[in-house]
Amino acid sequence: MKSLLIILLIFLPVNAFGQLFKVVKVKGSVQGQVGTSEKWIEIKEGNTLDANTMLSTNDNSSVQLVANDLKFNLRESSAISTSAIKQMSVDELLLALALDDMMQAPKKNNDSDAKNTAVYGTNLNGNNGVFIKSNDFGIKRLNGAVQLAQVGLRESAVATAREIYRKYPEVKGITAYRLFFGQILVDLGLYQEAFEEYKSIQSLKLSTKEKEQVEETLEMLSKKIISEEK
Amino acid sequence: MRFKLLLILLVSFYLSKNGIAQNSFGFSGLMNSTNNISSLYGNYEASQINFSQLKDWGFSFIYGPEFSSSVNLNIYSIAVEKRFSNHILSLRYTPGYQKEFNFNTASAIILSDSTRQSLSSKFSYKELFGLGYYFRFSDELQAGFNLRYFSQEFSREIISPVIADTIYLVRENQSEKLGLWKGELGFNYSFSQYFSAGISSINLFSFSEDPFDQELEKFKLKTEKGVMLTFNFSPSRTFGLSGIIESNKSFQIGVNGRITFSNSSVGIGCSVFHDKTQSPFIAGVIPSVNFSTSFLSVSLSGIKYFSDRKDYFSYGDFENNGITNVINNPYSFDKALLTIAFALNTIQEKKVEFADVKIIEDIYPALTENYLNKPFAVATVVNVSDERVNVKPFSRINGLSEELIYSPIISINPGDTATISYFTVIPENYAITKSEISTADFYILTSNEEFDDQIQKPVLVNGVNSWDGDVINLKYFIKKSFDFSISYSKRILSNNKTLFDTLENRLSDFYKTKLIYNSFAEAMVYVSDPRASSEYVQYPEETLKLKGGDCDDLSVCLSSLLESVGVATALVDYQLGELRHVNLLVNTKLSPSEAGLITSNENKYLIRKNNLGNDEIWIPLEATSLKRFEDSWQAGAEKFNKDALENYGLSRGSVQIIDVY
Repeated sequence: MKSLLIILLIFLPVNAFGQLFKVVKVKGSVQGQVGTSEKWIEIKEGNTLDANTMLSTNDNSSVQLVANDLKFNLRESSAISTSAIKQMSVDELLLALALDDMMQAPKKNNDSDAKNTAVYGTNLNGNNGVFIKSNDFGIKRLNGAVQLAQVGLRESAVATAREIYRKYPEVKGITAYRLFFGQILVDLGLYQEAFEEYKSIQSLKLSTKEKEQVEETLEMLSKKIISEEK
Repeated sequence: MRFKLLLILLVSFYLSKNGIAQNSFGFSGLMNSTNNISSLYGNYEASQINFSQLKDWGFSFIYGPEFSSSVNLNIYSIAVEKRFSNHILSLRYTPGYQKEFNFNTASAIILSDSTRQSLSSKFSYKELFGLGYYFRFSDELQAGFNLRYFSQEFSREIISPVIADTIYLVRENQSEKLGLWKGELGFNYSFSQYFSAGISSINLFSFSEDPFDQELEKFKLKTEKGVMLTFNFSPSRTFGLSGIIESNKSFQIGVNGRITFSNSSVGIGCSVFHDKTQSPFIAGVIPSVNFSTSFLSVSLSGIKYFSDRKDYFSYGDFENNGITNVINNPYSFDKALLTIAFALNTIQEKKVEFADVKIIEDIYPALTENYLNKPFAVATVVNVSDERVNVKPFSRINGLSEELIYSPIISINPGDTATISYFTVIPENYAITKSEISTADFYILTSNEEFDDQIQKPVLVNGVNSWDGDVINLKYFIKKSFDFSISYSKRILSNNKTLFDTLENRLSDFYKTKLIYNSFAEAMVYVSDPRASSEYVQYPEETLKLKGGDCDDLSVCLSSLLESVGVATALVDYQLGELRHVNLLVNTKLSPSEAGLITSNENKYLIRKNNLGNDEIWIPLEATSLKRFEDSWQAGAEKFNKDALENYGLSRGSVQIIDVY
C-alpha cells in the first residue's frame, strides 16, 4: 500500500495560503472547481490553480501539483481543496477545532445518527492510512485529507476532516477514518481533544477489534490527561 | 469641651446652698430615660431635653389612684408632642398635678353659747399646663426648654367687724389666686452609644404674682434655683443604669432591664429617690414595668413612700416649710399609675437610602425588550433600619415615559449594602428621533406608602433610530415593523404563486429567499451611512420607503422580509480592525445530503445544527450586493469563507453569528 502512495515533499512553507499551484501531471480524469463557482472544469497539465480550487479525481486518476517547493499528488477517488495543502501550526489547528465546535452548536450528541457508509467502497485500511474507493464526494474528500496526513500535513488533515464531517455528516460514521484522524490528535499530543474524539467514536457501531482499540486509547488518554493536570 | 462642661456642673452643684425639694421626679421613675424607650411624652420633670425617638406625633396619658385615707382616681396628665424635622413641640395638660391643704388655724371664735369654732384655711396648688420645645443640634447634642404654669389659691377665714347700729363680728372668707410661670433649660450630650449625660436647670426663672396679703408669701411654691445632672449608661440593649443628681443633694437612681422581641420589648425598672425634704434618706421607690412597640408604650408604675403618710399634720410645719413640688412633697401619698403613650407616624420612616446610582447604559429606544433583561442603571442601597427589609426599586426616565417602571424586589439585611438593578420599558409608540440628555428619577420603597429615598441622574436618551453598535441588538430593528414586512414579502410571493405550487416543499425557503432578495435588490440602492459615527439604523419600513441604506439598514431590512415569511436568518458581524460589516446567513432548512439541490459547490454553504441537533444548510447572503441573488450568495459565501473560516474569525472572535430568533 505504501508503494501506492506517491510521496512528495517536502520543504513545506509555513503557510501555503494564497499561493498558486501548478498542475504538473494528470492521469485519467481530474475535475476542478474554483472558488464558489458552480462549474467543474477538466484539469489539464500546465494549468495554474489558485488556493481555493477543489480538485476531484475519478477511478484510476491522479493529479500532481507543485507550489514553490511543495509537491502534492492526489490519488484516485480523492478530493481536496488546494487551500488545505498547507502547513498549519498546532495553534492554528486548535483554532480550527474551536471553530468546528462553534459551527456545531447547539451541541447535540448525534453521532449515532450518522450512518456507517463503509458499504460505499472497499476499505483498504492499513497502518499508514485509510482508503475507500467510492464516488461519494464526502469519502473522496476524506481520502484527500488522509493523503494530507500522509505527506506530513497532519494538522491540516485533521482540520480538513472536521470540515468534511460538518458538510458531509453521513461520513462521520466511517470508523476507519475517524480512528485515523483520532490517532493524529493523539500523536500531536492533543490529548483532551483526542479523548473527546474517541468518546465520540465509542458511540459508533464498532467491530470488536475497533472497540478494544478505542477503549485502550481512551484509557491511555485518561492517564495522560490526569498526569498533565498534575 | 467635655471637661468644661463637667466643671460647670460640679461648680453649680457645690454652689447650691438652698435646700429645695427634689424636682427630678417623674411618675415612671427613670424607666423612660434609658434605652431610648419613649414611654412617656411630655416628661418635663426627669429631663428638660425629652428628645425622644418620636418621629411625628406622640400622645401620652397618665391615670391612676392615689392612696390616702380614701382612694382617689386622677387623670394626672395628657400630653401631645409633634416633631418638625429637628424640632419638637410639646404641650402638656396636667389636671391631676395638684395638692390641696385644709387647716384649722390657731385663731378661733367663741360663740355666745361658749362653743369654740376655729377659723379654717385652704391652700390649693395646681400645675395646669406646660409647653416644651426641643432642638436636636446633632445626633450627639440636644437642648430642651419648657415653660410651666401653676395656679396657687389661698383661702382663709377671717373675722371682720361690721359696724352698724351695733358692732358685731362676721366670719368672712378671704381668698387670693396667684399664677406662677416656671421655665427650665437643659442640654444632653451622647458621649457614645452607651453613655450620655445632661445638665438641666431647676427654676431657671419664675414669674409669680405677689399676694395682696403679705402673710401668704410664705405659702407660695418654693422656686429656689438649682442644677440637675443626669446620666444614662446602657452597655447593652438589655440593661441600663440612670441617675439624676440635684444641686440640693437630692437624687434619684434607677436600673432597667429590657427584653427585645422582633417588634416589641418588655422592660422592668426600679428607681429610688432621696429627697432632702423628706425622710428617711431613701424617701421612696418607683417600680415600673413597660411594654413597648414602635407605636405604643404601656407602663404600670407605682410610688411607694417609706415614711408614714397621714391625712393630717401640723399647720405650723406647713407654715414653716411650704412645698416646692406639687406631685412629690412630704404630704404626697402612695400612687399607682398607668401610663399609655402612643406614636402616630404620618411621616414615612426611611429604612433604606441610596449610596449611589450609576447609569451603566445610555437609552436606545429601539432596543425595547433589551431593557427588560438588561439594567440601564445600578444603585447601591443601604439598609439603615434595624430590620430586614424588602426593597421595591422603581424609576422613571423623563421624556421617555410617564410610567413608573418597577424592577425586581430585593431583600437587604439590617446595615447591609446591596446592589439594585434598574430596568425600564420603552413605550411602543416612542418615536422621537432626536437624542437628548434627560433625567431619570430613581426611587426605593419599603412599604406601600411613600418612597424611602429618591435620586435623580442625567441620562442620554437616544433617538429612535440610534443603535448602540452591538450587532445582536439589530434584531430589535428587524422586529420593529414586522407587519409592514409581512405584507411586503407576501406580495412578492403571491406574485410567484405558480412557482410555489409546483415546487418541492423542501426547497420552499430557498426559493422564498431568492425571490424576495431579487425583488428587494431591484428596488434598493446602497447608500453609505452619513451618520456613521452615531450608528443610525433605519427600520425596514423606512428602508423600503427610502429605497436604500447602508449594510446595517439593508441587512436588517432583508432579514425582516425573510423572517416575516418564516425564513430563519442570522446576522454575521465582521469586525476587521476599524472596519465593521454586517451581512446575513439564511437557513434553507435543507439537510447536508440535499445540498446538491441548490448548489454543486460545498464552499457556498455551511452546516449549522438546529435546536433538535439536526444539520441544516445555511447560505451566506451579502445584502449590499444588490445584484442577482446568485451574485449576492457568492459574495456572501466568499466573505464568510475567508473571514470566518479560513482566517478563523469565528474562533478568534472577529466574526460573530447572531441568530435573529
